[in-house]
Amino acid sequence: MTEVSIEKLTKDYGQGPAVNSISIRIAEGEFISLLGPSGCGKTTTLKMIAGFEDATAGAIRFDGRDVVAVPVEKRDIGMVFQNYALFPHMTVEKNLAFGLEMRKTPKDEIRIRIAKVLDMVQLTGYSERYPRQLSGGQQQRVALARALVIEPKILLLDEPLANLDAKLREEMRVFIRDLQRRVGITTVYVTHDQAEAMTMSDRVVVMFGGRIAQIGTPSDIYERPANLEVAEFVGQVNIIRGKVGNRVVSTAFGDVPVSGDFADGAELMLALRPEAVELLPINSGAMGAQAKVLSSYYSGSLVDYRLELAGGVVVNVQTFPRTRFADGEQVLVHAPADRFWPLGSAA
Amino acid sequence: MSKPFFTVYCLIIYAFLLAPIAVVVIASFNAGAFLTFPPQGLSFRWYLVFFNNEVFMRAIRTSLWIAAMTTVISGIIGTMAAMFYVTHAGRLKETVRVAMLAPLLLPEVLTAISLLFFVYSVGLGTQNLVGMIVGHVLITLPFVFINVSASMESYDPAWSLAAQSLGAGRFTRFRRIMLPLIKPGVIGGCLFAFIISFDVFTISFMLKGVGMSTLPIQLFDYLRTNFTPEAAAVSTCSIVLTMAVVIISEKVLGLRIHRF
Repeated sequence: MTEVSIEKLTKDYGQGPAVNSISIRIAEGEFISLLGPSGCGKTTTLKMIAGFEDATAGAIRFDGRDVVAVPVEKRDIGMVFQNYALFPHMTVEKNLAFGLEMRKTPKDEIRIRIAKVLDMVQLTGYSERYPRQLSGGQQQRVALARALVIEPKILLLDEPLANLDAKLREEMRVFIRDLQRRVGITTVYVTHDQAEAMTMSDRVVVMFGGRIAQIGTPSDIYERPANLEVAEFVGQVNIIRGKVGNRVVSTAFGDVPVSGDFADGAELMLALRPEAVELLPINSGAMGAQAKVLSSYYSGSLVDYRLELAGGVVVNVQTFPRTRFADGEQVLVHAPADRFWPLGSAA
Repeated sequence: MSKPFFTVYCLIIYAFLLAPIAVVVIASFNAGAFLTFPPQGLSFRWYLVFFNNEVFMRAIRTSLWIAAMTTVISGIIGTMAAMFYVTHAGRLKETVRVAMLAPLLLPEVLTAISLLFFVYSVGLGTQNLVGMIVGHVLITLPFVFINVSASMESYDPAWSLAAQSLGAGRFTRFRRIMLPLIKPGVIGGCLFAFIISFDVFTISFMLKGVGMSTLPIQLFDYLRTNFTPEAAAVSTCSIVLTMAVVIISEKVLGLRIHRF
């Protein structure tokens, strides 16, 4: 197992940095996702870790040893590409053997290790197939097996699920995560899909414009986003504005206590997730602000409402469809104070 | 177009293309003393004369030798050029393509005359086959280039990256991944190079030294003074030889395109 340390890593193609002095420490066996919109530098970062791109500045250390000068083929990485990049003229077995042959592994051992890895990805019996004879999900698993069979120091995945349909994608998420836990390999996963990053990772690195916006566990990122950009990129969010006064923000939901250093009179933005809001009938006698249902969208397990609060504030709320409210109905809304997360002063 | 009409149409085209060849082949079995059609009786008489004609035999050997050298050199340079063109040329792409195809666009006789000046001005002369091979490489290069770059277009660069991530160095990546995948284009290009080199007249005519004729030149020389069916026998053998090269490469190296 390998600990990876990225220090002040920068890549500049000549038009300003694509990756701007980022630092990440990845613990042994940790599963880390680089998450961000396209062009945020996540793929460039992955390519620099792999060695396909030279770093303009900074260091990449595998167990303390700087590998920036080490060529890809000597870096001992396992990489899974977006389109799998299986060698089309080789059978599954030959694809898997390739990396081991490069390492001059004895023939007998190659056979044993291929059998083992095929079992691991549940493709025993497929060794004589050509990639074109496999489904997308099977190709994906061969690509994983090919990267893992060489027992690399680190596993790198570049949007590996992007080409699969939705159902298979969810299956593969669980599959990859389980496999990674069992093998215990340090893993860097690049994706623009926040659900993927959240469900699979130990920690998520959110990137915007070549910089790291936030590093944290999925719940850190979701519940305690570092700024407005992160809050809006990861899941749905309502931004509630209000004036600070005496450690309390007065909002359309009522007064919300905030911890932290905010000057009185400043206008503050609070992040409120749609599922954190509770909806109650107007005559329930509970505490809460009044709101009018503008529209609702039923999706089976959940209902999404658009509500209008006092002062024309519109919020999105997601609830279980236990009680349904009609469009135009007056309701009570309530959210626990700790579900409002301050994002800093409004611009 | 209705189906029967289309079939007839195709047959006519084939007949038009193949009839002259058929005439030559049939004429080569002529038993008479002159090149006529239809032949007067059938025999292998002129084949025996041809096989015992040391001048023709030497010309065939020369042609085969030049075609082989040309194929190897053209194959290597053309493949390298195509690899550069598809993966690295960048902004130079169009320039590289035009430069590579230029020998196809220029009249062959112009290329031949310029080459003649060139080989003398660099002191190479026409005493040996070097100048001739340079000429043959020049005019066969576009065919290798076109074929290889076409098969490179369907080559996914990620295959090379994957091989690299698995520990393969530059040479291994080429030999084990890229070459097998662009093989149909390389072999196709090399076959073109071989056949064209075997067949080319103008360039060879300008760049040949004394006493080293290729087969087409020897045949031309021969037909200036003789009109026997031996010429037809020579042509037939040359057709058979070219076809043999195509069929053998197909069988041995496998021209089958990989279906992905």
